Amino acid sequence: MPRPPAHVPPPPQSGPPVALVAGVLAVAVAIAAVVVYLVMRPDPVDPGAGEDGAAITGVGSSPNALPNAGGIRVGDAGDAPQVHIYQDYQCPWCGLLEEVSGPAFTEAALSGDIQLTYTLMTFLDGNLDTDHSVRAANAALCADDQGAFVEFNAAVFAGQPDEEGQGWTDEQLVGFAEDSGVEDLETFTACLAEGTHTDYVRDMQTRSNQDGVSGSPRVFIDGTELDNDQMATLLEDPNSFPAILEEVAG
Amino acid sequence: MTRTRWADLVGLLARLALGGVLVTAGGLKVDDPTGAIQSVVAYRLFDYQVAEMIGLMLPVVELALGILLVLGLLTRWSAVAGTLLMLVFIAGIASAWARGLSIDCGCFGAGGPVAPSDTSYLTEILRDVGLAVAGLWLVVRPRSLLALDAIIFAAPRHTIHPVTKGS
Repeated sequence: MPRPPAHVPPPPQSGPPVALVAGVLAVAVAIAAVVVYLVMRPDPVDPGAGEDGAAITGVGSSPNALPNAGGIRVGDAGDAPQVHIYQDYQCPWCGLLEEVSGPAFTEAALSGDIQLTYTLMTFLDGNLDTDHSVRAANAALCADDQGAFVEFNAAVFAGQPDEEGQGWTDEQLVGFAEDSGVEDLETFTACLAEGTHTDYVRDMQTRSNQDGVSGSPRVFIDGTELDNDQMATLLEDPNSFPAILEEVAG
Repeated sequence: MTRTRWADLVGLLARLALGGVLVTAGGLKVDDPTGAIQSVVAYRLFDYQVAEMIGLMLPVVELALGILLVLGLLTRWSAVAGTLLMLVFIAGIASAWARGLSIDCGCFGAGGPVAPSDTSYLTEILRDVGLAVAGLWLVVRPRSLLALDAIIFAAPRHTIHPVTKGS
């Protein structure tokens, strides 16, 4: 006797439709990305007054700090060639640049041959997972409050740790200040503790990225970025700066 | 081991390779927004505003795709997106190379300039080509071992077992 046809059950539900799940997830990821963007986005810095001969109006964070996070001026040479150095205190090559050619920059600035500006970058903090770059940059502006930026700048670089990322203790930074001729160490120490210039320091990093400077050290003369050969020369020969200045600024 | 099972194993390895790299790359960058933005700026391809958007949002997308691939969830779709990303990265690195920039690809967080002798464009491109191939495998054959897809979207497309009891 033939068997009756077996009862075939309807196929079981095949789970949620793939396209729906994918769509929902894609929207969720897009929302997460937008939220991250809105939360993490650094406050934009108004590039208004550039360093290229623009009038200095408004106030920077410390006496020689330009407005709009434009950096720290050394000397006041007006319309002399503009030399702009971008550096991070934790960057070993920046340390070498300061050691070899720093005195030449300073001398030219103080004798009025160039208008020197330093932008203190702090991106290595993110890279190295530290806060030493921001602390040292804040400290440099604290030193500028007492007219000792140039000396302090040299002292921090001279005191760079053997290993990138080790940074400096507050005591070390105060020591550099003392060596740099900062007289009111109490005010300096309070300035460190309070991070008085931290906002300006963060804005300098944002401004660097806005201006397309994506690393350190970088040297610009009248807006022209020095190429690899010129940088290598400055890193090697303490007497090379005048010739490079002449070559670029004419 | 049957051939199918071997292929499933290859699928698993492809998922872990592409997914693992995406999770690592995204995770490192999401932790360092400044570096992530700077890495994009270093390519000199976009306005700052756009570079900022890419720098901050790309890691989220990388993380999401990476996690999906590692879990084996929506494998084919994630692999399509992951492969496209790799192609974009290859194009970006190649363009930096062609323009003679001296940068690190910034693939795993803060990139930016390096000494010309330290650039490793070829290695970076070859790595991304390898990952794109892994992605393509999954696009063509998304089935793999230990994939959540098999549990969640268990489509009974092979055989419908008739009720044979009581015959």
